Amino acid sequence: MEGIWYVIGFAVAGVSFVFLTIGASWLISHRTKGSPLKGLPYESGIPTYGDTHGRFGVSYYIYALLFVAFDIEVVFIFLWALVVRDPIPGVLASMGIFIAVLLLGLAYAWRKGVLTWR
Amino acid sequence: MTAVTGYWNRLSLASRALLVLVPALLVLGGVATVALALLLPPLLDFLGANLGLVRFIIAATVIIVVTIPTAFVIIYMELKVIARMNLRVGPDRVGPFGAAQSVVHGLKVLSKEDYTPAGVDVSVFTLAPVAVFLTTIMSFLVIPFAPGLVAQDLNIALLYFFAIGGLNVVGLMMAGWASYNKYSLIGALRAAAQAISYEIPLTLSVVGVIILAGTMSTTAIVAQQSGSFLDWNVWKQPLALLVFFIAATAEANRTPLDMTEADQELVAGFATEYSGMRFGFFFFAEYVNVFVVSAIMVVLFFGGWTAPFDWPFPVQLALDPASLGIGLLFLIALAPVLGTVILALPFWLGSSRISTLQALLIGFVLFNVVAVAALLGWAFVSFDWVVGLFWMLAKSYVFVFVFVQMRATFPRVRIDQLMGFAWKWLLPAALLNIFVTAIAVSLVGKG
Repeated sequence: MEGIWYVIGFAVAGVSFVFLTIGASWLISHRTKGSPLKGLPYESGIPTYGDTHGRFGVSYYIYALLFVAFDIEVVFIFLWALVVRDPIPGVLASMGIFIAVLLLGLAYAWRKGVLTWR
Repeated sequence: MTAVTGYWNRLSLASRALLVLVPALLVLGGVATVALALLLPPLLDFLGANLGLVRFIIAATVIIVVTIPTAFVIIYMELKVIARMNLRVGPDRVGPFGAAQSVVHGLKVLSKEDYTPAGVDVSVFTLAPVAVFLTTIMSFLVIPFAPGLVAQDLNIALLYFFAIGGLNVVGLMMAGWASYNKYSLIGALRAAAQAISYEIPLTLSVVGVIILAGTMSTTAIVAQQSGSFLDWNVWKQPLALLVFFIAATAEANRTPLDMTEADQELVAGFATEYSGMRFGFFFFAEYVNVFVVSAIMVVLFFGGWTAPFDWPFPVQLALDPASLGIGLLFLIALAPVLGTVILALPFWLGSSRISTLQALLIGFVLFNVVAVAALLGWAFVSFDWVVGLFWMLAKSYVFVFVFVQMRATFPRVRIDQLMGFAWKWLLPAALLNIFVTAIAVSLVGKG
């Protein structure tokens, strides 16, 4: 249980360190309002065109779907790796079947061409 | 109000720092004195009863403070090593061989204007560097630096490390989305695509090590590699090391796999709209990440804090300072004076162009060098954790050097090649490694 307090404590300590440093920088730095042009997005010097948060074509979203499938697999493999030495019947075969199914999915995605960046 | 602002803006940096620091220190000092006088006895009782809390405070403070020189050293290495590889001199103005250049850089970033552009979502914009730096700090929690010198020896240390490392991408996405800049958004989306793609081979590549070790605790993994360098995991898991190294390069956003920042294509990627210290934290985190990745690589594959070979001449130093009694006092008082004079003598006698004062100054500097070296040598011989820390840092900085050197050697790859490589080569290689390891372990038995 001590570990979880360390994790939480480190999170709090890290956040306070960053905010303290940004606060110190805010105190000693020079600030001006500047002209309205200063606040424009920096997009190669030309006036920004259209809405940035508008519709946006991300053709590589399939990677995210593949990631979800394989990330869950990773969680199972981590647990399996701890017990693979134990004399459990079919410890290799069960994980082999599980990964084979996923690899089949990867092969299908590969064949369909979603692994090619568009 | 405007008069105050105007006065403030006319001040120089030094006077501003003074104006803020002196009253702040006075007030803090007064409050601290009163509080200590009132609260010291109960506070000591409380801390004595909660030694775990004391340990946590020390661990958190040390790790946060240590990240600062780590980043400075790596930035200096990057400036100097890449300069040497490009047949340039590199920084040589500030400090000896330009060693203070990165510190000055850091102070410059600290004192620069931290501007918030008009279109940004201010709260997310500010929290993004916090999120990025937080993942770096939290990764340090499970890195064992020496026997007993680990913030917390979690039994799921590796799972925790990769889970926290994966959160990095959330900070990058926050930065890209909140910036309201198309380059930032494209950079952040690329960062997300790259990070999640390389996350899979990165985590899968260490499964072989977990199978060999039978545990996810980093200290246990290091302890199992003790002995000579022949016991290191790198000999049993060479393919895993290769996959891990490539994936770690991508995860730490280092060239040649740093598509998230690709300057030529995306201005500065997710960091385009940032300035001042909020910008600084992205790069602070990136450089500390280089160290974190190198350190975890050393822990997993290169035996962590264990020495690569047995010291051929075991030095036994039985030195008990207390046994000298009153003589110790004389030693402490006389050693600097005698050392300075003795070390100054050759310069004073050898060259007539050096004045007495200069000779004494040189002697004093040399004495300090000798004394620090002697102290470090004594600590190295006397304490186990100093030896461990030495080897851990030495091995880690070798890999930091490799990361720096890679940046000057390889051109950046194209984004489509980058993504294809992760899914078509690294992922099958990592899975192959797992199965070969698992089959070997079950054939050999509990070897």
